[in-house]
Amino acid sequence: MSAELEVSRRWAFRYLIASTAILGAAGTLGVLLRDSQADVGRIDPGWWYALMTAHGLGAFVGWAAFAVMGFSYWVLAQAGFPLRPWGRRLAALTWWLMVLGVAGVVVTTLGFKFGGSWVFLYPLSFHAAGQWGRWTSFFFSFSVLLVGLSIVTWCLAVLHTILGPALHAVSDRIPNRIGVALGFGYLSPTRFATNPRPVPYAVIPLTAIGIDMIIATLPLAVLLVEMMVQSLSPGVHVDPLLAKNVLWFFGHPVVYLLLFPAVAIYYTLIPRYAGRELVAGNIIAVGWAIAVTANVIVWAHHIYIDYPSGTPQAALNVTMEPLTFAITIVSALSLYSLFFTVYRSDFQWTAASTALYLGLVSWLIAGFSGLVNATIAFDQVIHNTLWIVGHFHQMALLGIGLAIIGATYAWLPDFVGRPLYSESLARWHVWLTFVFTMFNTAIWMYQGLLGGPRRFAVLPHRYDAAGQLAVPVTIVLAAAQLLFAFNIVQTLRGRRLTADSFGTARAISVGVAVLLAAAVGGWAAVGGTRTAKTTAPAAPTASPGKTVFTTKGCSACHTLANAGATGTVGPNLDEKKPSFATVVEFVTNGKGAMPPFKGQLSSAQIRDVASYVSQVAGTR
Amino acid sequence: MNTTGTVLTVAFTVTCAVGIAIVTLVALSTHRRRSVDIDRIRHAERDWFVAVVVLLVAVLAATIAFTPYGRSARRDAQIVDVQGFQFAWVVPSATIKAGRQVEFRLTSRDVNHNFAVYTAGGKLLFQVQVMPGKTQRYVYTFTRPGTYHVLCLEYCGVGHTDMQTDLRVVT
Repeated sequence: MSAELEVSRRWAFRYLIASTAILGAAGTLGVLLRDSQADVGRIDPGWWYALMTAHGLGAFVGWAAFAVMGFSYWVLAQAGFPLRPWGRRLAALTWWLMVLGVAGVVVTTLGFKFGGSWVFLYPLSFHAAGQWGRWTSFFFSFSVLLVGLSIVTWCLAVLHTILGPALHAVSDRIPNRIGVALGFGYLSPTRFATNPRPVPYAVIPLTAIGIDMIIATLPLAVLLVEMMVQSLSPGVHVDPLLAKNVLWFFGHPVVYLLLFPAVAIYYTLIPRYAGRELVAGNIIAVGWAIAVTANVIVWAHHIYIDYPSGTPQAALNVTMEPLTFAITIVSALSLYSLFFTVYRSDFQWTAASTALYLGLVSWLIAGFSGLVNATIAFDQVIHNTLWIVGHFHQMALLGIGLAIIGATYAWLPDFVGRPLYSESLARWHVWLTFVFTMFNTAIWMYQGLLGGPRRFAVLPHRYDAAGQLAVPVTIVLAAAQLLFAFNIVQTLRGRRLTADSFGTARAISVGVAVLLAAAVGGWAAVGGTRTAKTTAPAAPTASPGKTVFTTKGCSACHTLANAGATGTVGPNLDEKKPSFATVVEFVTNGKGAMPPFKGQLSSAQIRDVASYVSQVAGTR
Repeated sequence: MNTTGTVLTVAFTVTCAVGIAIVTLVALSTHRRRSVDIDRIRHAERDWFVAVVVLLVAVLAATIAFTPYGRSARRDAQIVDVQGFQFAWVVPSATIKAGRQVEFRLTSRDVNHNFAVYTAGGKLLFQVQVMPGKTQRYVYTFTRPGTYHVLCLEYCGVGHTDMQTDLRVVT
């Protein structure tokens, strides 16, 4: 390996190892969250949301984005664009910023219970309801800022690498070179001239995302700085609708920070296994020209149901619907090219190429549900339901994840100079991941179509049956990732499984045993909790006042042992022991942060709840 | 499942089935290799581009009319002011009449919430975002009397799932 390639190899490898470790941690959290929802190992809501925040940021940025960022250096090196000295420095800086940022997220969520969700929708960070403190909010924003800066330095590393001499652009002017790197030469070979060869297709998506993520991240960085200030000086604030737009101005392109480099991986590896060049014409350059532009002007499709009176948000949302449709064109063209590259080719079906092919299938399927989300009329029904959770897990865990897994199996041997430990274990891993993630996401999407809400620590009971079905599915999925980890570790140790073939009795027995044990364990756990539930004595009928207390939101803010309420927003009623008259007064007319309930509760209900609270406060 | 949900289930299932059939055929085509005119496929990508654009325009045209923006209430509409806060809804106790338009005016005292109304059977009727410092309107006509259930669909903190209340709709 040449010294130039060696630098790209080293950094791609480091990113791979760090991101795969994060996958292990974030994936485990995902299984815990899903199973808790199905009442298997129930987690306290405050911690559930903290875990959800860690899982979301960890899996999305710490695993998927981090992994494809590293592979991008290797894709570029393969295309003739090795990292140069400044690229190497930026790659190192990016790695450290990402690792520190993710570590900060882990500490503030798992250590200090920050549970604002991975979108930390402004101003939720400052309304912690007693769950986390202002310094936690400060350090969480700071950690996300580090992640954001790492994305920016990665963009600079990529653009510096691409726009250098390897581009073979005739012109020296930067705008012209950017045009060349975006593939404009396929449309106008004279204006965007190259000598001797046109830009490789894989370079185009990396240029596009390198430009877009700088544009998209800088406003978010400003918002994060504001949030750090506001954590310590509550008087400072910004308009929540503006903050929401800034968040999604970043939040949409960051999805493509995963997709576009994954496309570059597909463009590089699919032709290699098919033994022919990518079957693409000039029109794909049109798709990328649309994509690089539309990517930063489609964010409002994440907030289609936000249209407050007296704001231009509705007009913005309607404008961004056709733009969002337009951005799907590049996916449609890429999938056309990639599938026809495989069509009737002498395709080598290895674990790596199978992962890549199944990744393309997932990209297609997730693209269909993405089109549903892009349509305002449909979004009304599935917005913030589990359908969305199903959609993006399908895209991130398969459409992008299988590109990462395929690239790992394809390139890890190149990185370490040794063959893969076991090809057949890798195949088991790939197929189990594909089948069980599809199964898991299908359950989510079905629950979403039934109106099942996302981000619910405890789902309404009508979604229980489908949720419990997901328990063994998630356990098998997690078990399959152990095969991945084992294969990587053994490969790093220089081991090699002998008599290696897909049909070896050994691999099959290992796989089947893992499957059965996991499925039986999962169902036993579910069955155990079900049985325990049904044999428990029926609860005595609650008093009318207790019913009001538990169903009208009182328990969300107040602690009252008798009602099982542990809210910490308002005063602890067991300590205050309010009189009947006090409760009637405060519930009727409000007090401080507590709103008046006289419009919502009848006077009889208010007397019931007052009678109940004044009698049971301080008792069990 | 509501009507849109049913339409989505059918359309999505059919589209996925077609997609999976095609990719299966492509995968199988690698096992019995025959010559293929790559240049023809490369040129046909333009036709595919046109087909995709036409398809997208068709979906847009077919669905844009169902966008809920800018619906204004009639003069006789019942106004229902809704306030969300961590972690409860404040909804007036006055009952809502079936068959008469309701204009919900929603706002929040603290963070973002989302007012989602379900039938007693769990069918999602509509959802609308509730923002601090802003008022959002939503016009809806309940066709049947009964009790409707409200959930919060925007994650708002530790008590998010406790943000539930009922709406009574009478004849």
